[in-house]
Amino acid sequence: MASLVKQNQKIITPLLWIIGLIVLVALFAPAIAEQRPARLVQSGITGLLVGGVYSLIALGIVIINKASGVFNFAHGWMMLFGGFMFYSFFSVANISPFAAGGLALLTVLLAVTMVGALRALRDGRTLLVAAAAVVGVTLLLLVPIPMLRGVVGAICGGALIGLAVERFAIRPLIGQPLFAMVLMTLAASELLQGITQMIWGSVELPLAVFSPLREMGIPTPFRFEGTGAFEGTIIVRTELLAAFILALLSFAAFVAFFRFTSVGLAMRATAENQKLAQAVGLRVRVILGVAWAIAAVLAAVAGILQGGATSLSLNLPLLALRAFPAVLLGGLESVPGALVGGLVIGLVQEYANLLFPGTQAGTELAPYVLLMIVLVIRPDGLFGQKRIERI
Amino acid sequence: MRKYLVLLILAALTGLLVLPVSAQEALPDWIEHSACEVDLTGSTIPIIHFGDISGSFAFITQPLLVGFADAIDYFNARGGICGATMIQDNRDTGGDLSQTQAAYDDYSSREPKPSMMVLYASADAELLREQLIEDGIPALISAGSVEGLYGEDGQSPGWIYAANPLYVDQFGNFCEYIGANAEQFPAPVVGYISWPGAFGEAAFTPEAIAYCAAQGVTVLPENESFLPISTDITTQVQNLVDQGATILYTNTLASGPVAVARAVVDLGLEDTVQIAGVNWTLDTSVGLLSRTVIGADGLPAVDGLIGSMPFRWWTERDQPGIQLITEVADSKEPPLEPQNRNIAYLLGWSIVDLYVEIYTQTANRVGGLDAIDGAAVNETLSNFSYSPLGLYDLNFADGVRDAVTNRIAIMRFANADMSGVATSGSDALTLPLADGTTAFLPIVVPVTEFEETPDLRPGGADVP
Repeated sequence: MASLVKQNQKIITPLLWIIGLIVLVALFAPAIAEQRPARLVQSGITGLLVGGVYSLIALGIVIINKASGVFNFAHGWMMLFGGFMFYSFFSVANISPFAAGGLALLTVLLAVTMVGALRALRDGRTLLVAAAAVVGVTLLLLVPIPMLRGVVGAICGGALIGLAVERFAIRPLIGQPLFAMVLMTLAASELLQGITQMIWGSVELPLAVFSPLREMGIPTPFRFEGTGAFEGTIIVRTELLAAFILALLSFAAFVAFFRFTSVGLAMRATAENQKLAQAVGLRVRVILGVAWAIAAVLAAVAGILQGGATSLSLNLPLLALRAFPAVLLGGLESVPGALVGGLVIGLVQEYANLLFPGTQAGTELAPYVLLMIVLVIRPDGLFGQKRIERI
Repeated sequence: MRKYLVLLILAALTGLLVLPVSAQEALPDWIEHSACEVDLTGSTIPIIHFGDISGSFAFITQPLLVGFADAIDYFNARGGICGATMIQDNRDTGGDLSQTQAAYDDYSSREPKPSMMVLYASADAELLREQLIEDGIPALISAGSVEGLYGEDGQSPGWIYAANPLYVDQFGNFCEYIGANAEQFPAPVVGYISWPGAFGEAAFTPEAIAYCAAQGVTVLPENESFLPISTDITTQVQNLVDQGATILYTNTLASGPVAVARAVVDLGLEDTVQIAGVNWTLDTSVGLLSRTVIGADGLPAVDGLIGSMPFRWWTERDQPGIQLITEVADSKEPPLEPQNRNIAYLLGWSIVDLYVEIYTQTANRVGGLDAIDGAAVNETLSNFSYSPLGLYDLNFADGVRDAVTNRIAIMRFANADMSGVATSGSDALTLPLADGTTAFLPIVVPVTEFEETPDLRPGGADVP
C-alpha cells in the first residue's frame, strides 16, 4: 500500500488539494450564496489592501531571514520606532538643529563604520564623504516641508536602529547558533520598547500622513455606488491603496535586488551558510548590516502607513504578529512568498469577518487555521525552499 | 538676662514648631471630609495602582497618573490624611494579564499587606476578584464589568468598588434615552461593535438586550468585534448595517470609537447611522485622535457621538470640584496639556479625595494607622456614602459596588468664539498644527440630568 502511494504521489497530492478545495467550497458555498455580490467584492478589496500592509511587514522579516537566517522578533518595534521618527519630524514645527544633526551624524557614523570600524574615517576621502552626508541629511531634516522631513527622518531613524541592532546585538553572535540570534532579537524588541516609551511616551498619537491627499482633492476614500446585482457601496480606502501600491513596488524592487544584484546574491549566500560565505570572501558583516538597515527602513515605512491608517500606539508592534502567519505561509526566505502570504492572510481574515459575522473568526482564528493547514501540507510554506539535510 | 535668653529661645522653638502648621493651606469649606480624631502625622499612605499604562488604555491611564500626582500634591499640602502623607506607587502591566497577576502577587505578599489598591480595567477586576476577597484587600476601580464587581451570578458583591456605573447599566440607560426620543430615533436598531475581552463585551448581555427591547430598542443578537490594531473594520460595520443597525454602540476607548467613526464616514453612512458608546467614548482622547478622520461637515467624525457621562465634566465650571481642578490645572507651569484634561485626570483627583475620606473614617474608627488593614477599609467601604469633590455620587451600602447614577451626553466641538458648539468645520475653534492638520476642541454636552441607572445584573431589579 505504502509503495503504491509513493509511486502515485504526483497524482495523489494534487488530487488531495482538489478534494480539499471542493470540501472548502462546499462548506462555505451556502454562506457565500447569502452575501450580496457587492459585499463579496468589498471584502475582497479590503482584504487585499489590508494584506498589502501585512505583506510589507512580512517582507522586512523575510529580508532579515534571507540574509542571516534569523527570525526577527523585534520587527514590530522597529515599525513603531520608524513611525514615531516620522511623526517627530513631520508633526513638530521647529526641529532642533542639534537633534537633526545628531541623528544624521549617528546614522552616517554607523553606516561608515559598518565596513571597517572607526579607522575607516582616517581615510580623507571617506571622511569627506561622511561629512558631506551628515551636512546633507541635516539640511534635509531641517527643510520646511514636513512630509520630506518626516520621510528623511524615518529613513535615518529606521536605518540607525537596523544598523545598531545588527552592530551591537547580532554581529557579536556571528558563527554562534541561530537560536542565540533569535533570542537576541527578542531582547532587542524589549530594549526598543523601553527606548520608544522613554522618548515618545505611551499615549497614542494620530499621524496625519494622508491628510494632504484630501487637500489635493483626492477622494478619501474612493467610493463607488453599484447598481443592479452589484447594488451597494464599495469603497477603496485611499491610504490603504497607497500602502498596497507601495508594497507592490517594494516587492518588485526586492525580487530584482535578490536576483540580479551582487549584494542581493551575496545576501542569499550568507543566509545559506555564514561561515562558508566568509570563507569565499563575502563580507558577511557588511551584508548583514545592509540587510538590517533595509529591513528596518521597510519596517518604518510599514509603521508610517499603518500609523496613518489608524494611529501610532504601543499596540502597533502587535501587528507584526499578524504578519507572522503571512511570513510562514509564504515561506521564510521567499520574497514573493511574503507578498502572497500577506495578501492571502488579508483576504482570509476579511472573508472570515464577512462569512462568520458575530464571531471572532476573522480577527483571531482564520489566519492561524489556514497557516496550520498549509504547514501540515507544505511545512516550508507555499514558496519556501525545501531543506534537505544529509545525515 | 539669661532668663530672657531662655524665653527667647523657647519662643523661637515654638515658632518653628507652629510654622509648618500655620503655613499649611486649608481645604475649601465645600470639601466635607470627616473630622480627624487621630493624628497620623509622620506616616505615609501609598496609593498602589497597577494597570495598563502603556497599551490600549494609555491615553486614559497616563492622565490618571497626572491627576493622582496633582491631587496628592494638593491634599498633602493641606494636611494629607489626618497628617499622613500620600505617595504614588504605580506599576505598568501593559494590559497583559500575566503582568497584572505578577504585580498583584508582589503587592499582596508584602508585609504588611496593602489595605487598599487601585485598579483600572475590567479584565484585571475579573482576574483578581476572588484573590482580593481571599487576601482581604479592597480595591477601587474605574471600570464596570458585572463579573468583576458582582461575580458570575451578578449577586455576589466582592471587594472591588467602582467609581462608575456598570457598563451594562450604562447601555441600558442609553437605550432608555433612545427609546424616550422616538422622534429623533425612529425604529432604533442597535448593532454592538467592540474590542474582544472583558471590557469590550461587558455591556452586551442578554439582560441588556431584553431591557433595551422593553424600551422599544432592538439590539442585534450578534455583536461584532475588532482588535485595537485592526487596520480596517469596514466589514464588521457593514455586517451590522446590513442587518439593519441604525445605531452602532461601542464599548471601547481612545482609537476604538475613532475606528468605528472612520468606517461610518468612509461608507458614507454619517446621516443614517448614529455612533454611541460607553462613558470612555466621550473622553477627550477620542476627540483629539479623531482629527485625522474628518466627516462631510468638516468636523471630526466623532462629532455627535452619544455616550454616558456619569461624572461632572470640565465645562461645568459652576461646580466647585471642577473649579478647583481647573484652577490647579491652569496654575501649573506649564499648564496642564489638552490631552490630560480628560475624564481620567478628573478621576485621579476623585480617587485621591476618596482615599482621604476612606482612610480618615477608618482611622477614626480603629484608632490609628497601624490598626488599619484591608478588612477595616472594606468595612468602611461597604457602608460608604460620599461624593468625591462633587464629581459623582457613591453609595456602597446594601451590597452596591458601583456608582448608580448616570446621564447621557453628546460629544461636540467648540465653536470659534467658544460660546457654543460648532456646526461645521468652518465655524469651529481650530488650532493649525505643524503637520498641516487642524486640532479641534472636544466638549461634552449633557442632554439628560443625572438619574439612577437600571440594575441589569443577572437577576437585577430591572431585568424584564
